[in-house]
Amino acid sequence: MHPALQGLITIVVGVGGCIAYYYFSNLFLDKVLFPAKGAMAGRNINRANMVRPWLFLMPALVALGLYLAYPVFATIHLSLTQRVAGGGFEFVGFENYVKMSGEPKFWEALTNNLFWLIVVPAASTAFGLLAAQLSDRIKWGNVAKSLIFMPMAISFVGAAVIWKLVYDTRPAGQEQIGVMNAVWLSFDEGSIWSFLFLKLVPILLVAGFAVAIALMTWALAKPVVQRNGPVSGWRTAAAVLVGAGAVWLIYKSIFGILGIATASLPYGEPQTWLTMPFWNNFFLMAVLVWIQTGFAMVILSAALRGVPEDTIEAAIVDGANPFQIFFQIKVPQIMGTIVVVWTTITIVVLKVFDIVYAMTNGQWETQVLANYMYDKLFRANDWGVGSAAAMVIMLLVTPILVWNVYNARKEMR
Amino acid sequence: MKCKLYASAAALALMASGAVAQDLSFPVGEGAFNWASFEEFKAANTGVAGEVLTIAGPWLGPDQELVESMLAYFEAATGVDVKYVGSDSFEQQVRIDAEAGSSANISVFPQPGLTADLAKLGFVAPLTDADADWLRNNYAAGQSWVDLASFAGPDGNPGLFGFFYKVDVKSLVWYNPENFEDAGYAVPQTMEELKTLTDQMVADGVTPWCIGLGSGGATGWPATDWVEDLMLRTQTPADYDAWVRNDLPFNDAKVVAAIDEFGWFIDGDRVSGGKGAVATTDFRDSPKGLFASPPQCMMHRQASFIPSFFPEGTEMGVDADFFYFPAYAEKDLGKPVLGAGTLFGITKDSPAARAFVDWLKTPIAHEVWMAKSGFLTPHKGVNTELYGDATLKKMGEILLGADTFRFDGSDLMPGGVGAGAFWTGMVDYAGGKSAQEVADAIQATWDGLK
Amino acid sequence: MDNIVGKKSGLTWAVHISMALLVALWLFPTVGLFVSSFRTSDQIATSGWWSSLGTQERQNPAIRIEGDVVEVDGQFTISGNLFGRTGVTVGAWGTNSREPQAYGPGETVDLGEGQALTVRENGDYTLAAPSDFGDQRLPRVFTTAETPPEFTLNNYSAILFDQRNVDGMAKAFFNTLTVTIPATIIPILVAAFAAYALAWMDFPGRALLIAAIVGLLVVPLQLALIPLLKLHNDIGIGKSYLGVWLAHTGFGLPLAIYLLRNYMVGLPRDIIENAKVDGATDFQIFTKIVLPLSFPALASFAIFQFLWTWNDLLVALVFLLDSSGETTVMTKQIVELMGTRGGNWEILATAAFVSIAVPLAVFFAMQRYLVRGLLAGSVK
Repeated sequence: MHPALQGLITIVVGVGGCIAYYYFSNLFLDKVLFPAKGAMAGRNINRANMVRPWLFLMPALVALGLYLAYPVFATIHLSLTQRVAGGGFEFVGFENYVKMSGEPKFWEALTNNLFWLIVVPAASTAFGLLAAQLSDRIKWGNVAKSLIFMPMAISFVGAAVIWKLVYDTRPAGQEQIGVMNAVWLSFDEGSIWSFLFLKLVPILLVAGFAVAIALMTWALAKPVVQRNGPVSGWRTAAAVLVGAGAVWLIYKSIFGILGIATASLPYGEPQTWLTMPFWNNFFLMAVLVWIQTGFAMVILSAALRGVPEDTIEAAIVDGANPFQIFFQIKVPQIMGTIVVVWTTITIVVLKVFDIVYAMTNGQWETQVLANYMYDKLFRANDWGVGSAAAMVIMLLVTPILVWNVYNARKEMR
Repeated sequence: MKCKLYASAAALALMASGAVAQDLSFPVGEGAFNWASFEEFKAANTGVAGEVLTIAGPWLGPDQELVESMLAYFEAATGVDVKYVGSDSFEQQVRIDAEAGSSANISVFPQPGLTADLAKLGFVAPLTDADADWLRNNYAAGQSWVDLASFAGPDGNPGLFGFFYKVDVKSLVWYNPENFEDAGYAVPQTMEELKTLTDQMVADGVTPWCIGLGSGGATGWPATDWVEDLMLRTQTPADYDAWVRNDLPFNDAKVVAAIDEFGWFIDGDRVSGGKGAVATTDFRDSPKGLFASPPQCMMHRQASFIPSFFPEGTEMGVDADFFYFPAYAEKDLGKPVLGAGTLFGITKDSPAARAFVDWLKTPIAHEVWMAKSGFLTPHKGVNTELYGDATLKKMGEILLGADTFRFDGSDLMPGGVGAGAFWTGMVDYAGGKSAQEVADAIQATWDGLK
Repeated sequence: MDNIVGKKSGLTWAVHISMALLVALWLFPTVGLFVSSFRTSDQIATSGWWSSLGTQERQNPAIRIEGDVVEVDGQFTISGNLFGRTGVTVGAWGTNSREPQAYGPGETVDLGEGQALTVRENGDYTLAAPSDFGDQRLPRVFTTAETPPEFTLNNYSAILFDQRNVDGMAKAFFNTLTVTIPATIIPILVAAFAAYALAWMDFPGRALLIAAIVGLLVVPLQLALIPLLKLHNDIGIGKSYLGVWLAHTGFGLPLAIYLLRNYMVGLPRDIIENAKVDGATDFQIFTKIVLPLSFPALASFAIFQFLWTWNDLLVALVFLLDSSGETTVMTKQIVELMGTRGGNWEILATAAFVSIAVPLAVFFAMQRYLVRGLLAGSVK
């Protein structure tokens, strides 16, 4: 039999089985178990409606339970145990966590991960939103969208190769094969272009980031600050926490601007981008932003198209300029989608592993938690610490979790 | 539904097999091969015909074709159906499969450290005492091969868990003979001469060395080979062994001195691109500097596999050649050679797997690969005239002329050190940290693993 | 009025230009890889891909003289072209690595022992000697030459048409489809039902379930591998298509449910409530109203899930590829081509474009539906 036919049969069996489950289980529920006729019709309908959600949910719950929840519990268990010689595990309490917190590599990974968590979702969502908005207004928008989406279709390994080529360094005097160094070497000290691209643009970018943070914090804080009457304790605590984080980021940005303004750059020398401490993290993040922007763009573009025309028309009649329309009419209406995109990318970031693994393997201070975990699991064969690192990754997502529970409960009221 | 799936999967398997069997590259009975050992083995192993033997290893691409050409003879002799699968992430793959219970019958370990890990957990079946005796008697320096493959089992008792087959020599310096001729340089015979030559080149305005440590997730490993080679050239073999076992701490002055010896080679103008470029240059790209115009460097120290990364059309012996990475004349440590090898271990026992171990003892199993390329063997019973080319033969001579043969130390250290802290430590060293700092950090990791 | 129109067109220009910049920025790295996929590995490693687009003056590595010896009147000569093609202009040449630019084009140089070598501007060379060369090593020539762009299709033919792996590649292609199609459809189907239940059906514990699903989003895949493979081995699935489908389904579900539920919650409440009043069952509402309305979300998720499964190697390695080697997938095949020590940029570059072809085609095909679905539906 031809492999194509073989594949087709397996596909039909697999997918057909799934569809059959939903159709027949539903039929069974309505016709056999609780038929909506006869004396018990009313009660049966109610009962059927109580059972039906679980019918719909069951395959999903089974798959989730088996493939994700079960490993989570296995991981919690593993993180509290240690392998004993000759096979088997013994319970050691929190020893693995203590051991992990004693490793500088772990703290390096945690700090780096925090940077990743701020930069990548923000940049991807911002670029995605920009691309979505711009492409909706021009004729060749679909072509443009496809081109921006393209990195999504390249595997992580492929992406790592592409960017290695971009960041490649050859010794001074040889021809550079990496774009970054070729561009870098074309800058001269004191020329107007160097000033424009290496001082002004970065300063503006950092300043923009600081302003965006300030605005966002204010938007979040306004309702809390201005609310009259009793304010719940945890709400205030959260506000203070967010505020402190924002102040810290702004403070850092100001220092960054000063740093850029005063730095004397090593013109004319090829740079090894991936080994510059601290900055190399951003070069790695660029790869993920490059990939994830396509994702953000596709989802946000769908949401933007869904914004009702009449609200926009009303704004135009009121004399709003395009920027006001975008920021005051469109963005608030798709806020829900933006949050979804942000969350999704945050989660991708927490799991990011391939890029770091393929490009630096966490050396030169670029370690991240997922790669740290992989290292412990499959290189050092230390399941205890590896699982403990995984628990930290899961812990980092708790704020998102809380936020979602909060939203889900709000919806239900 | 499941039933049907099985049926179709089985049909799929049936349909696809049959295309696997490879032709024998050297007809049985012809040439200077030890065909007697083939026939003898064939007669002794008739009971396993029809069995399936799965082998998992790290070889892919051209290497996979080579190993399969050897396996074809085993198939022809026994009627066993051999399936070889290579993986580029073999180290992780073998762990996952072992933990989950879906190991191949035979796993080809590139690092004894990995075998030791799995053996300790009970995932590798021990070989017999007869196997160990055979190795002692028939491999050059047999006892050392037995020692290298003997680890503590799950019960804590030591046993032989692997069979070395296919050896690499690492103490080689590659160069372009014509570039040497053009400049009037001679191949150095001692480490003193090598260092003088290096300084001579710098004085002439030529960059002596190309060194690249980049290797994606494994960045740093080429430097571990350097340090091991220099360890063997500055300290006694006993010290080397103690170091590998951590009886000699990593931050001992002797080890720090060896690291600094390596530092000498990457210092100043001695290396292409300067010290800063060493860690980021990919090890696969760095030898290309030998062939550039004008040459970016004159010498490159790397193991026997590196010619596959030379530019296309490079002719061995004409465009490129190698010499033994020499030892200090004054230190009287003989001619040490650093090497590595692959270890065949039984990860799922079966009669065919045992027969395969016996197969590895026959000279013919070595000769059919020797006659092709990229294969060195310590088997004393093979016909060395069969080596596929002059290069291999010359490497074989270096191997046989060694006063001391030591296995790649980083492969013997625990994974967290040999495939972790040691690599990253060397990257840090090339990045400017002091040898002492780096050695202290590696020792700290090692302490953490105990 | 003019003022407003002028402003508007100015803004349109700004939109066009910024979009073009953004696209260029995003495309640039990929173009680099694309151009590289038509170059040989030596070219990739020695010069920037952008320089291959125009004529470049460069010092080339040594080329050894070879060819048949012709004897004319006791004079032995070997002649040929250094580059094997036309268009190259030699600026300077030499025979010694220390003086690679010693001579100009057209010069005849005495190499000693009566041998004379001439290299002309177009790369033609003539080596003449009074006696036969025998086994003597022939000289090598260093050139500094202007080279016009040169591209090769060898990388593609090595991946797609090499006789040795053509069968393997075809098999891998169908296997990959067999993995990806169900691994895309099954999770979407399962997630759509679950998302509907979580969005529009009332039952106790709903909020908790949603929270749990979001929590499961972050479970690192690597952790799940060993316990699950163990499980598969225990219940007899082993390494098989069923196993890899289930695994992909499990790993893809949280995001699918999360995205779809968020979309479905936004559907207009009155449509669904009207249908309920009209006596439609949940099953009918789902299949007749919610599913068609959610098409854009389903399509976007389908694209992403397809891409992930298509580009996946890890899950396939663990749950599908057994040691029999019969079930190979594209990514595996490509990794194999790269050889044990990997890092062959030309193969990687080419492979990336071979494997990107199908996902891109899917994206273009689905994009039409995406837009149509959006325009047809009354989406929030």
